[in-house]
Order: sequence, then structure tokens, then C-alpha cells
Amino acid sequence: MLRKRLIGVVTVRKGWAVQSFGYRRYLPLGRPECLVENLDRWGADEILVQVIDRSSRNLGPDFDLLMRLGKLGLETPLIYGGGITSADHAVQVIQSGADRISIDQILHNSPCEVRRMALRLGAQALIAAVPIRFCDTTWLRHDYMKRQCFPFDDELPALFQDRVVSELMLIDWQNEGNITEFKPEQLARLPFTEVPVIMFGGFTKPSLTRRFLDHPKVAAVAVGNLFSYREHAYQDYKRVVGSVSLRPPTYYG
Amino acid sequence: MKFCKRCLYSTSHPLGLVLDEEGICSGCRVHEEKDSLDWSERWSKLESIVAPYRNTDGRNYDCIVPVSGSNDSYYIVYLVKERLGLNPLLVTYNRYFNTPLGIRNLANLRIRFNCDILYQNINPESVKRIVRSTLQRFGSIYWPILAGQSVFPVQTAVRFKVPLIIWGAHQGLEQVGMFSHLHEVEMTRRYRKDHDLMGFEADDLLSVFDTLNETDIWQYRYPTDTELCSVGVRGIYLGNYVRWDPKAQHEKMIDLYDYGSSSFGRTFDTYDHVDCFNYMDLHDQLKLFKHGYSRVTDHATREIRHGRLTRSQGLSLVRRFEQEKPLHLDQICQWLGIQRRSLDFMINQHRNPIYWHSNEPGEWSFHGWSTHHPDFNLEDTKSSQATTFMATASRELGSCNSYITIGKGWPC
Repeated sequence: MLRKRLIGVVTVRKGWAVQSFGYRRYLPLGRPECLVENLDRWGADEILVQVIDRSSRNLGPDFDLLMRLGKLGLETPLIYGGGITSADHAVQVIQSGADRISIDQILHNSPCEVRRMALRLGAQALIAAVPIRFCDTTWLRHDYMKRQCFPFDDELPALFQDRVVSELMLIDWQNEGNITEFKPEQLARLPFTEVPVIMFGGFTKPSLTRRFLDHPKVAAVAVGNLFSYREHAYQDYKRVVGSVSLRPPTYYG
Repeated sequence: MKFCKRCLYSTSHPLGLVLDEEGICSGCRVHEEKDSLDWSERWSKLESIVAPYRNTDGRNYDCIVPVSGSNDSYYIVYLVKERLGLNPLLVTYNRYFNTPLGIRNLANLRIRFNCDILYQNINPESVKRIVRSTLQRFGSIYWPILAGQSVFPVQTAVRFKVPLIIWGAHQGLEQVGMFSHLHEVEMTRRYRKDHDLMGFEADDLLSVFDTLNETDIWQYRYPTDTELCSVGVRGIYLGNYVRWDPKAQHEKMIDLYDYGSSSFGRTFDTYDHVDCFNYMDLHDQLKLFKHGYSRVTDHATREIRHGRLTRSQGLSLVRRFEQEKPLHLDQICQWLGIQRRSLDFMINQHRNPIYWHSNEPGEWSFHGWSTHHPDFNLEDTKSSQATTFMATASRELGSCNSYITIGKGWPC
């Protein structure tokens, strides 16, 4: 059985790595490649680079950034998300050095294009990123372009049933950078089954991360801002989480 | 390029700056915390953080404190020794561009506070080779100083097994609001590489196209994660727990401990950087060339945020000082072993075309930050109380204006 993962997230906006708070307020951090290199040195299980302003500005994927990341010689699997609107984009992103891609808007705007991506790259390379709210007893997905929440239609569950995407990343977008209000028990109400889940957004408390990692549906938890505040923040966080399902923290050169 | 509506910073700031929907920058927003946080509660938090690091058997130091002959060194040691009651080991990196006043201030610091101190002197030939390389490659004469000042305390912490390093204020937090005070950001290798060293660690300087080699740069290498973890090295910033106000702090240190200050040609602030002939000279001019603004803008922005200057007063001061010519170019040419024409050629390579237009060979017109503000009612600042900074001495202290490359002390 595979170990679960703690993913380090680097959020990029206008070319800068930023701390994000609810995707509404941002504080600068620095060069994205410096943050990625740092997470790599810390032995992160996986690194997610999410470039959050490419789709809204119709810019396509940030290939310049991917080229700079490619030169780092990373040992850590890299997930790239941002601006991917076609299967060709997805292939180019993988060719540029990413190991997997994270997609959001295209899941709903063009699910057939997602199927084309899976045919070319394989489902293992695709992660469905879904900003989400839990309202009463129902999960609603948040469309950040339309700034509205919608119930799930049949398309997304079909993508999972047909094994077109490998994992589902649930993003607590409202509490991102704060403390998530999600509870593990709420995962039972997801309209999809059989799909491993990555939790992201507001996982500042190691105890909460531990509870989610103990849930059988959860394959990984992703954390962003917190890993920029002190040295070895990633390893210390892992140690405090204390979950045997995670790879032990490491200290290399 | 957009400007904050409150201070003088723009979104082109090299540390990164974001504006909120009201047009106020992240630096100003984080500065607001200085007037809303409970600082006595923050001080109690600091005391609880340092408590486990107190040495119980008296056989080792409680902490490492990086110091120099200027900036906030006096206030940091005052807080550590007098207020927290810790036993620090002071460490200082020799920058070679030392002024007599800086040597005097450093000697006065260790004597008045009665502290042990370690000096690091990297062999000057290697330093000169590095400076020639970094000046040419990315327009910096300060890389060895920034690298040495930021790594020597960490190396000392590992060697002496003293895990706690206490710094003053976090530059990213104070200037651009990179972190909230409540994030309690600590020292990281990532920040050092990304911002202090402009993206270049020691090994990144080695290249087949350069003359630098291993023997020149090995002293600037950061300890490994294994070494840091084995000692538990941790660097905290007092600015997260103390309401940081450099002007007020320096004036207190002048009053209590005879800190020496001096005036500069390129800024109104007389308290920072008095220990270096080049920081507020060529180094500051290079900042203007590359980034379109210089240190006087940092000083003015700081004073605006503290409510001691209006925005128009700040802009007046910036426009008065930022184009002043450096005074010590001949000294650095002599030290580096290069001709003045070579220096001029190299530094002109780094004029950012966004901010500098060449009208004729050797003639430049400036279009930096200060030229983008409207000419609103600029105020006369000469008689303003808000700009009163004391100059208690001169950097040369009546002697010659050559670098004191190795300062053995100062009779006090």
C-alpha cells in the first residue's frame, strides 16, 4: 500500500510566489524557483505549483516558469496547475518538466478535452482541482471565474468513474491561509466514490491534518503558506502530524 | 508600476509588494499592526521562546547575536543582554569597507555591554575576486558582505552548538509586509538566497565563464540541513515581539550608550550604515541604477509609516538626496585594483532601461520611481522637526577616509 503524502504548495501570482489568504489577499514571498528548490531540499513528498492568474488572464501555462524549474534538477515529483486549456497544453507542460498536472476550469468547460489529455498522458498525470464549499449537507463546487457556487453535475463524477483523472483535490478556498472548516466525516457526502482525495486549504493545524490522513479516502494533504515561515517547517510539520502513513521527515544536504 | 497611496513604494519593489483594493501596500498594512498589537503580550511570548535556551551550567552562551558597527546592533544587544538577561556571543563579519566610526562603534558596543565577540575575516584577495565578479555579473559590490553577515552567525551556531540566533528586524516584513508580525517568521536559508543574495548562493557563483573557484567561496556556504537539525539552529527576529522603530531606538542608544551617528550625502537618515564607506555610496547608487529608487526612499517610507513625515515631505527628501554623487569611488577602485573608467563602464551596464534613458553617450536621463509621482505641493523639509536626525560624529572621525580593513579596537 502506498504511503500518504504531504504536498508543499507554491502559489504564483503575477510571476511572484505569494502567500494566499482565501484567494483574496496576498503577501509577497519571492522567486517561485527558490521556494520550489527549498521544498525539494527539504524532501517534500510532492510539490504543487499553482499559477493562479493564468486562466483568468487567458495566458496559457507559464512555460518560462516551468523551464526555470526544470533547470533545478528536482528530486521531488512536481505538479503544475494554471492556464491549461487543452490537451496540447497538458502535453507541453509535462514535456517542460512537470510530472503531473492540476486542472480546474477545463473540467467543467470542456470535459472531452480532459479525456483527450488522459488518452495522451494517462490518468495518473491528471489531478482534478475543485474549489469547494460544504453547505448544510451538500458539497458545492466554486467557480472562481464566475464567482458562484454550483452543485455537482454528472460530468465530473463520470470522469472519475471512467478513471480519466487519478485524484481529486478538494480546495477549501474560503479558509485557505487560515483554518479549514471541513471535517473528515463530510467526505462521505461526496458525490464520487473510489477516487483518492487530496485536501488543500487551511491545513495549518497538524492535528487536523492527522485526522484527515487517517481517513481512508484521503491520499494527501497539501499545505502552502506555513512552509515559508521557518527553517525546516516541512519536516517539523510532518513530525508534529506524527502519522505513520506519511514518509518520515528527512534532512539532506 | 503602481504606487501605494500612503507611502512611496511601488509594485516594482525587488522584494515584491502587493496593493490591496484600497491601493494601500502590504508594507503599510503590516505596519498598522505596530499600533494594534499588544506589545507587552508579544514581549511575554518572546521571553517564553528564549527561556529554554538559557544555559543552566554557565558553560556556553545562551545565544548568538550578529552585530556590526551600525544599524540596530546596539539596540539588539541592549534587548538581549539588559532586558532578556541572556548571555550572548556577538559575531561580526568584516566587510573591509569599514569607517573609523564603525570600528569605534563596534569596540564601544562590546566594551559597554561587556560581551564576548568573534570576528570573521575572509582573506581579502578572495573577497576582491568575488566583488569584481558580482559587480560585473549582477551589479553588486555587496554580495560577500550580505553572504558573510548572514552565514557566519549560522556557522558559529553549528560550530559552538549554540542553537539560538537573535536578529533584529526582518527586512521583508518591515519594508514590504512580506509577513505579519503574528506569523513570527524566522530565519531561513530560502529567504537568504532569494533576497539577501539576489538568487545566488556561494556555489551558484562558480562558473566556467568566471575566475572564481572553490577556495574563494567555500567560506560562504550555508551549513547543511543535517548540521542545522543536529544542533537545532533557529533564528528569531526581535521585530516580531518588539515594536520596531529604528529612529527612536537609535536615539535611545545614542543617549544611553554613546552610539555614534553621522550624516550622509545620499540620505537624511544619520543612524544607519555609518560603519561602511560604500553602503550609502556606490552600493546605493547601484540600487538606483538597477531598481529605480534608492535607500532614501526606504528611509522616507519608514518615516511616513511612523507618522513623522507626510508623503509630500518624503518625496521632497527623496528628490533632494537620491541623485547626489557617490564620494568614495576612488577608494573602491584602488581597493579592487581597477581603473575608474572600468568601474564606470561596469556600473553603467546595470542601469535598468526602464528607469534610465541614454540621450548621448555618457549622459542619462532618470525615469525612476520619484519621477512618477505628481508634483503635488512639495513641502520644504529643511526646517521640519520630523526630519531631525542627530549626527554626533563623522564617519572619518577626523582621520583619513581610507578603509580600516582590520579594526583592532578603539580607545574609548
